[in-house]
This record gives sequence, structure tokens and C-alpha cells, in this order.
Amino acid sequence: MTATAPAYPFTAPAEPPALLLDGITKTYRSKAGAVDALRGVTYHFARGSFTAVMGPSGSGKSTLLQCAAGLDHPTTGTVVLNGVTLLGLNEVELTKLRRAEMGFVFQAYNLLPSLTVYDNVALPLRLTGRRPARNDVQRVLEQVGLEGKAKRRPAELSGGQQQRVAIARALITRPSVFFADEPTGALDSGTSRQILGLLREATDRAGQTVVMVTHDPVAAAYADRVLFLADGLLTGHLDRATPAQIAAAMSDLER
Amino acid sequence: MFFLSRQTVGRHRSLYAGSFVALAVGVFLLGLAATATAATVAYHGPASASISVTTLGGDGTPPQTVKVPLSDADVSGLQTVLSMVGTISGFITVFVIASTFAFAVASRRQELGLLRLIGATPRQIRRMVLGEAVVVALAASLTGAVAAQLATPFLLSKASYTELAPVKLEPASPWVPLAIAVGAGLLVAMLGARSAARRAGRVAPIDALREAALEPPRIGPARIVFGLLFLAGAITMLTLIRPSSDEGAVPLAMFTPMVIVIALTLLAPLVVPLVGRVWALPLVAWTQVSGRLARSNVLAAPRRSASLAAPILAISAIAGSMVLSLSFAADSAEATIRDAVRAPIVVTGAAPVDVAGVKAVDAGLPVQLVRVAADYAELEDAEGIDPGIAAQTRDLTELSGKLSDLTGNTVAVSKEMSGFEGYDVGDEIPVVFADQASVKLRVVAVVKNAFGVNPSFLLPLDLARKHAPDAQAERSFVLPADGVDPGELVKRLPGAQLAADWEADQAEGVRKGNRVGLVMLLGPAALYSAIAIANTLLMGSLQRRQEFVTSRLLGATPAQLRRMVLWESSLVGAVALSLGTATTVTVGVLIRHAMTAGVADVPVTVPWGILLGIGALCLILAVGSALAPTTYLLRVAAGETGVQQRE
Repeated sequence: MTATAPAYPFTAPAEPPALLLDGITKTYRSKAGAVDALRGVTYHFARGSFTAVMGPSGSGKSTLLQCAAGLDHPTTGTVVLNGVTLLGLNEVELTKLRRAEMGFVFQAYNLLPSLTVYDNVALPLRLTGRRPARNDVQRVLEQVGLEGKAKRRPAELSGGQQQRVAIARALITRPSVFFADEPTGALDSGTSRQILGLLREATDRAGQTVVMVTHDPVAAAYADRVLFLADGLLTGHLDRATPAQIAAAMSDLER
Repeated sequence: MFFLSRQTVGRHRSLYAGSFVALAVGVFLLGLAATATAATVAYHGPASASISVTTLGGDGTPPQTVKVPLSDADVSGLQTVLSMVGTISGFITVFVIASTFAFAVASRRQELGLLRLIGATPRQIRRMVLGEAVVVALAASLTGAVAAQLATPFLLSKASYTELAPVKLEPASPWVPLAIAVGAGLLVAMLGARSAARRAGRVAPIDALREAALEPPRIGPARIVFGLLFLAGAITMLTLIRPSSDEGAVPLAMFTPMVIVIALTLLAPLVVPLVGRVWALPLVAWTQVSGRLARSNVLAAPRRSASLAAPILAISAIAGSMVLSLSFAADSAEATIRDAVRAPIVVTGAAPVDVAGVKAVDAGLPVQLVRVAADYAELEDAEGIDPGIAAQTRDLTELSGKLSDLTGNTVAVSKEMSGFEGYDVGDEIPVVFADQASVKLRVVAVVKNAFGVNPSFLLPLDLARKHAPDAQAERSFVLPADGVDPGELVKRLPGAQLAADWEADQAEGVRKGNRVGLVMLLGPAALYSAIAIANTLLMGSLQRRQEFVTSRLLGATPAQLRRMVLWESSLVGAVALSLGTATTVTVGVLIRHAMTAGVADVPVTVPWGILLGIGALCLILAVGSALAPTTYLLRVAAGETGVQQRE
């Protein structure tokens, strides 16, 4: 990380961002007292960018992702996705927005165990009331390298294959933003490379925006930019960094 | 969403097996009750066994001709029991279905969250859960209906020629009754699934990310409001169980526990942890780690604990109250019979008593008459007596009028009958005897109630003999001559007993009748609850595979985990049973008070054996059905290394 990291927020880019976080704070209240998970995060995720968010445990990176995706309500601040402010939406509107514009990949439990690979991938389309076109489903399955596995159930697949199904499911609705939370956390390095390659492809080929939370410098190195989060604040960034540079920055942060 | 429902039911077979079995058994019982009722409705006895009577009409009701079956062709007893079986089965079904569906939703938070995350609206989730309910309910209802149809001939052959239905019953057309049972099953499933579906719709997408899908501890305000309403209703019903309720007391004692059970179940997420805390005190004191873990597990998931406790609470409260109430009713009947008989000797049978040393014989003639009212006609028991003798051998204290006027077309009525129908001395009651003769009987006296000894209508002996020439005394009350020892006289009289022995036999007869009724009423309900208890606990334990694997990795021995599950299920069982016991005791004390008012020295018979048996059975079932799957899971888990392993 450069010593002269620019102050956040960055100046607004000319093009409207895919995802805009403005002054996000999140305070959890419990019997033990209030905990500030996020203490004012402002950032513009440019369209077609691949951004990794890193930080030590408890830095608030998962909370950031959940607020950005409208899964959790920030205590203060606004989230704007493709020009739509999430704050004013009710549960159904939010669901429809999520359905159309967002794709999700998580570390585990991404798939419905009762459905075949094909049905899992086609599910978001069915939920919108559309009849999934067989070709579309086959195409995304090919894209993630799972042609021929359409009839399998998740339990018959390896962990990496399951993650690829999750990516295929996210791809099928052509969302503008991908949210990934430790997508390679449970995978070996070879399989991780395939998964990250698929996310990279989404930005490079289809111009989709990827926001990925990870603690793995190798995974973060696939991103255009790595954001560092500590104690609920953005503290710096690295552009097109190597795993070694990222790891060094992380150990600085944790010191 | 129906496509999803079908798939998920397949996946959650173990979760839905419970609902399936519960509903299939429920529809089976409802179906049986319905087909048997249809058989009794279809039954038309021989014409000679019934009397055609024209009602009086008036007040806008035209006179009608109705057929009143005589007691040897009367199937209304069976109909009453069947309708009660139907009611209880229906009640327990709604109950079990609601709790198994609630359970199925609670254990799938993560999956429902995932669906929400990838774009399912709350409405779609609700529809999916309801769709699952339809899939399960359809299969279960049809299975239950087929089973009921297969079992109907057996039930009818068992029920024929019994006291409840002294005739031969043949199966009637099954389509209508079975359609009703299947419809009821679907309706019940929908009712039970509705609140579960609503709760499923409230699962947030973020729940997909929460590994430990612990339910929120709060319960909805609507649930609390309804719980309190039912509680208020139950308390009102309890206050009605008092001496002035007379005959209403026993039905009240049977139905109040159901209302209490509903109230307690609605409030269970609040009540169960509270009572659980108390029961956990000795557990934590006596055990090391397992009791403490068990307490945390029960208290941390109040809704799950409540689902597990519900069926145990339901059957223990309902069965306990019923057993205790009927026993107390028999006690009170025994005391009433004792007080009503004054003669020292009772002879059973029709043989004339003509032995030396007898002062007087009160051989009343039992007859039946149809009492005709404005819009109905009812078969009543009556007895022809010699008022001069009967007044000495039994308690026929006149509350108004004079018993000595009982000659010609007259009648003396019991206080209860006079109270029900508003009869006073001087009123005329139109009746029809078995020989089709219509007579108007003038009320000459109102006498004290003496259930089990005197029927509600007492006629002059001559009148009874005139209209029922074949009537024979069934039992006679005998007064010995002055200076003759009853104990010695009894030995010389065939079929004679000392009054005390006869009274004890009568009470035993009442108890025996009660036992038959209990078996018919509670048998299916108990079987059902046993299935439900086993079911919820089985489902509950099978869902905990991951937890067991993790605990094993943390160094818990299988024996420790088994002990934890043992204490957990015992704790839930103890909480449910203590609530059931509280209900039983409350109802028992009130019914006892109601029944003993005005009668001295009523014996107290508490059927400890049956009550303790119910409790023990509940506990054994609860513990057994929690331990068995745990042992199985632990054996499976022994081979697995990973917390990593996924569904």
C-alpha cells in the first residue's frame, strides 16, 4: 500500500457508478452494548470493475457486502444500485431488484440440495415467472464448464463444481453486480483459480461489476483493485497488485 | 412454485414423514368415525322396534310424524361416541399438523433464506410452503381414507351387538363420508400450514448466510393475544365447572382441557423456558456438563422446545383430565346410589320373592315411553312403582306434591327432569307407550334425584303393567320383617345381595362402562399422540447431525452426547407433563367439588395406575424417540471427519 493513499471517498467518476455507497454506518445493538461494524464508508464501484474487499476478522467486510446488497439495512447512509436507492424500497421491490440486478456466490450452502444442477441454475428465471429456455441454461453451464452435469444433484458434485453451479445461477439473469463472499474459502488452490477466473471473465467479457470479500491475497490479486477495511473504515487500496504486495499490506493492517 | 414444492417435499422426506403419518392417522380416524356414522344412519331397524309418534306442533312448527327407535334398536349411543372420537381426532390432528409444519419451517431457515436471496418474494415462499402442505396432505388424506375404508367392516363387526349399538351394522356407501374425511384432512393441513407459511415468508435473505440458524426468541404479538384469549376462555369454562352445572359438568371437564392445551401451546415459547428453568435446576446440580448443555439447548430454542412439548402436553392434559373426571363421576354415582337405597337387601332378577321373614318387596317395573313435545319426541326410561312400598325402600323425598297421589294416569318426575322441562305439580305430559297408546300423564310430585336407582319418570305400577304387560322387574328392593336379620335373610333368598354389596357392584358397573368409553375415546387419540411425540422428536434429532459432528470434533464422547439428548428430552417431557398435570389437577379438583356438593362421604378413587401410566408412557416415548436417532447419527458421524461436509 502506498503511504500516500488518497483520502476516501474518491472523487466521483464521470460515468455513473454501478454501485454507490454513501456514508454507510452500521451499529449492532445488543445487551452487551453497541458495536460499530461500519463507521462511515463511502465508495463508488465503477461499472465493469472487479473489486476485492480485504480486512482482518471483525473489520466489517461481510457487513459491508450485506449492506451493499440490500441484505442488511445500514444504520445511516445510502446505497444506490444503478441509480436506484435501496433505502426506499419495500421487501418485494428489493427482491425484484435483487432478482434482476444482483448475483450471489458464497462460501457454502449456495444451492438447493433437492434440485438438480439444471433446476438450480434455472431457478431465478422460474422465480420471475419466466419459463427458462433450455439453450440459455445449457449455455451458462458450458460457460462454467459443467456441460453434461445438468442432471446431477449438488450432493454428487465436488465443492468446486458446486461453486461453479452457483456462478452459473448468478450468470443466467445477467446481473449487473456480482456479490461474492469468500467464494473460494472452502476450495483447494487449483479449483479456486477456476472460480476466480470465471469471475474475472464476467467483468472482462460481459462488463459485469464484481464485489468480492476475501481474506486470501491470491484471490484478491484477481481483482482490479483491493480495498482495505479496518475497524469499519476504508483505510487504503492497491491497484493491480500481486499476492505478495497484498499480503504485505494485510500484515501491516493487522499489526 | 408448485414445481419447487414437489421437489422440496421429496428432499425433506424425514421432515414431512412426520406430518404425513400424523395426517394419515388423523384422516383414518375421521374416516372411520364417518363411515361408521354413515352405517348407523343407514341402519333402519325392523319396524316393530320403533314407534311412530306425531309431535304436538305449535309456535309455528307443524306437527310431524317421527320414528323413535326403542332401546333394543337404538344406535344413538354409538353415534354419540363416534362424534366424540371425530372431535378429539380432529382436534389432535390440527394440533399435530400445525406443530410439525412449524417445525419443518423452523429447521429450514437457511434454505428459505437462500431462496429469498436468489429472488423469491415472501409471497412465493408462502405459496411454496402451502404447496408442500398440499402435496403432503393429498397423499396422506388419500392413504388415510383408503385405510379407513379397509378397516370399516372390522370396526362395524366389533361395534355390532354391543351396548352402544345392539344391532347388526352393515357398511354403507363410503363415498360421502370418505370425501368428508379427505376434505377435513386437507382443510386441517391448510389451517395447520398457514401460520407456518406466514412465518416462512418472514425469513430474511440474510438467513442464508447465517450458519447457526437459531430462531429469534420473540413470539409474535398475535400469538400472544390469541394465547391469552384462549386462556381467558379456559378460565371461564373452569369457573363453570361448579355444582349448579349439574349434568354439564362432565362434558365441560372434557372440553376445557382442549382449550387449555390450545392456550398453553400458543404461549408455549414463553411458558416452556420458564418451567424448563425450574426443572433444569436439579439437572444442572446433579450432572456435570450434559445437564448444562441440555438446559441451554432447551432454553435457547424456545420454539423448537415448544413444538416438541406440544403433543406430550396435549395427550397428558386431555387423557389425564378425562380419566380423573370419569373416576370422580363414578365416585359420586356410588355415593348417590348408596344414599338413595334404604332397603337392606336387593334381589337381582325377576323371580318373585316369597320367602318367610320378608315384610315388603319393592319390585318396580321398568318401561319405556316416548315423551312428546312441540317439535320432538324422545324415548325416556320410566318405572312403575307402588308408592307406598317404594317410599320405604328408596329415597323418594317429595320436593313438592304428594307421592301418595300416584294412581291412574299420573307421574312423579325427578328434580332434574322438572328442572330441564319446567314441569310442575299439576302439569300434563303427553306420552306414547310401547303399545302405541297415547296418554296424558298428570304430574303429582317432584322427587329428589337418585341417579342409578330411580329413573326420571315414576308411574303407578298398574299403569306400567297395563301398557307393558311383558315388563318384568330387573331388581327388587326387599325389607325384612321386624326382628329378621338381613344377613341371614340374604342367604335364603336366591339372587339376593346386601344393599352395600349391590351398591358396590353398581359403581363397578359404572367404572367398567367408563373404561370401555375411555378406550374408545382415548385409544385412537393416545395412539395418535404417541406417533406425534415420536415423530417430532425423531425429526428434531435427525436435524442435528451437524451439531453432533461438531461436538464430537470438540471432544465430546458419544456417551456424553447421548446423555445430553437424554436430559434434553427428559427436560422437555417433564415440562410438558407438569403442565399436563397442572391441567388435570385443576380440572379434577373442580369437578370433584361440583359433583360432591350436597352428598356426604363420597369415596375418592384416583386411578393412579392409569395416570402414572400415561405419564410414564409419554416420557419413555419422548426419551426413546430422541435417543434412537441420536445413537444412529453418532454411529454415522463416527466415520466423518469434517465440519466441512455439506448438505
